[in-house]
Amino acid sequence: MRIRALVRRELLDLSRNWMVLVPVAVVTILALGLPFLIAIAIPRLTGQPLANDRDLERVSLVLGPAGELSGEARIQLFLFQQFLLLFLIIPVTGAMALAAHAVIGEKQARTLEPLLATPVTTAELLVAKVLGALLPTLAIAAAGLVLYFAGIAWLAEAGVARSMVSLRTLVLVVPVGAATALLSLQIAIVVSSRVNDPRTAQQFAILIILPVSTLLVAQFLGRVWLSAAVLAMTAVGLVAAWLIMLAVSVLLFDRETILTRWR
Amino acid sequence: MIAAQDLTKRFGPRTVVNGVSFEVGRSEIVALLGPNGAGKTTTLRMLAGLIAPTAGSIVVDGVTLTRGTGSALRRRIGFLTETPGLWDRLTVTENLRVYAELYGLDAPDTVVAHALDALGLADEAGARAAELSKGMRQKVALARALLHSPSILLLDEPTSGLDPEIARSVRRLLDDRRAAGCTILVSTHNLDEAERMADRVAVLDERLLALGSPSALRSRLTTGRVTVRLRDNPARYLTVAKSFDAAAASDERTIVMRLDNAEERTAAVVRALAAAGAEIVEVRQEMPALEEVYLHLVGEH
Repeated sequence: MRIRALVRRELLDLSRNWMVLVPVAVVTILALGLPFLIAIAIPRLTGQPLANDRDLERVSLVLGPAGELSGEARIQLFLFQQFLLLFLIIPVTGAMALAAHAVIGEKQARTLEPLLATPVTTAELLVAKVLGALLPTLAIAAAGLVLYFAGIAWLAEAGVARSMVSLRTLVLVVPVGAATALLSLQIAIVVSSRVNDPRTAQQFAILIILPVSTLLVAQFLGRVWLSAAVLAMTAVGLVAAWLIMLAVSVLLFDRETILTRWR
Repeated sequence: MIAAQDLTKRFGPRTVVNGVSFEVGRSEIVALLGPNGAGKTTTLRMLAGLIAPTAGSIVVDGVTLTRGTGSALRRRIGFLTETPGLWDRLTVTENLRVYAELYGLDAPDTVVAHALDALGLADEAGARAAELSKGMRQKVALARALLHSPSILLLDEPTSGLDPEIARSVRRLLDDRRAAGCTILVSTHNLDEAERMADRVAVLDERLLALGSPSALRSRLTTGRVTVRLRDNPARYLTVAKSFDAAAASDERTIVMRLDNAEERTAAVVRALAAAGAEIVEVRQEMPALEEVYLHLVGEH
């Protein structure tokens, strides 16, 4: 009940200040265009099909048996699968600003003290802060994914869109995507409750993207291929890590320092 | 009822509140006075369960305030912070509604509407907090503190910066809450307000320097000088007066004397003069203003 009230407050506030979400939406749209540029536009403009590239053909073998897909379609499928990971990162980078500002912003607006004087617990407050940043992020990511799949269905080789719809994609997008965002934003909240300047919070929070970026690059190099089972386990691990991070957040949330020493 | 026992707060090597003990009962208003940095806000924050005391204990309605009991006890406390702390982009109603839900109130919309009416804020219900004047913001913050009908009210400078009309309406509201059985502790710099509003006054400057009713505090600095104005010639009754103070003197209309323990002996003087046939028009015991007492206490410290 209390979490719901706080989340609704966050979303209401955001709806009156929707410009803060514009950069997230812009970056998502740009990120959306990138795979289409690489997998479809450039090969068509240059007249050089992807299938001519031996390296791409080699790394695309991680997908397993090709089935009915042509060589070109197979590489397109590989690329579009890789770029799905981007959807784990891009919206989160934008939401980092919201999460990093969550606690320090309340403190600076002098709204934190009356809030802490209510029966709300630290855990409730922090969960609400995370959800307040997560929900708009997921909404933008979901809209981006709809556009992504619509674009693939419209522009990619025959069979690519159908092959994209798989258990792996579902696991990657739903539990892994949401859990990655949840964990990242929770870390950003920790940062927000430990520093007394929003700029510092944002600088630290952005570092959280690095591990996911490393994974993205490793996949592109064909070094790592995360199967649906591995991804499912990853999602479980991420949720467990979030719970641990939530407990850490509660322990590190020092009401006294926030109220008495931050200006 | 709220009771503090040996309340101490240190921030690193700096002691802000030192061994403070007091109680505020039901249907009582206690004004917390003290210079800037005296520990008033820190004391209120400890009583509200926002920060933990370094030593000492706090009992709220018979329950000791601890980390474990804090969340439940905060339901009984309404805390008005030093600054209103409203969410600027939300309307007045939206601001209050969030708090109504945080306190788990049934029918939050009705409660909010009632609170707005009680504070004369109904016309501002749809206004965004950012658009309100300072006085209105303070009233909304007060409405927020009262929303859940707390049995204990902790108010940090509730009338600071308010125009006299709004300040008066706030005082009336506090009177109403007191009449309803509420325990009220108010921090203020306004000595006149403290004297008019509070049943007792606590003077704090790291330590509790004094605690008592405004008149009791004022009598601490009394000179014992009593002036009796008579209808007839005072010289006729000077002998009676001298039996209380050998140095008593008179002029055309008054007898002036200095009494030890004037608070108790003035009545005896009046009785003696009346028995001697004097027609007494006025008896005035010279009392210092609360401001003088306050400055004396704080300066002495």
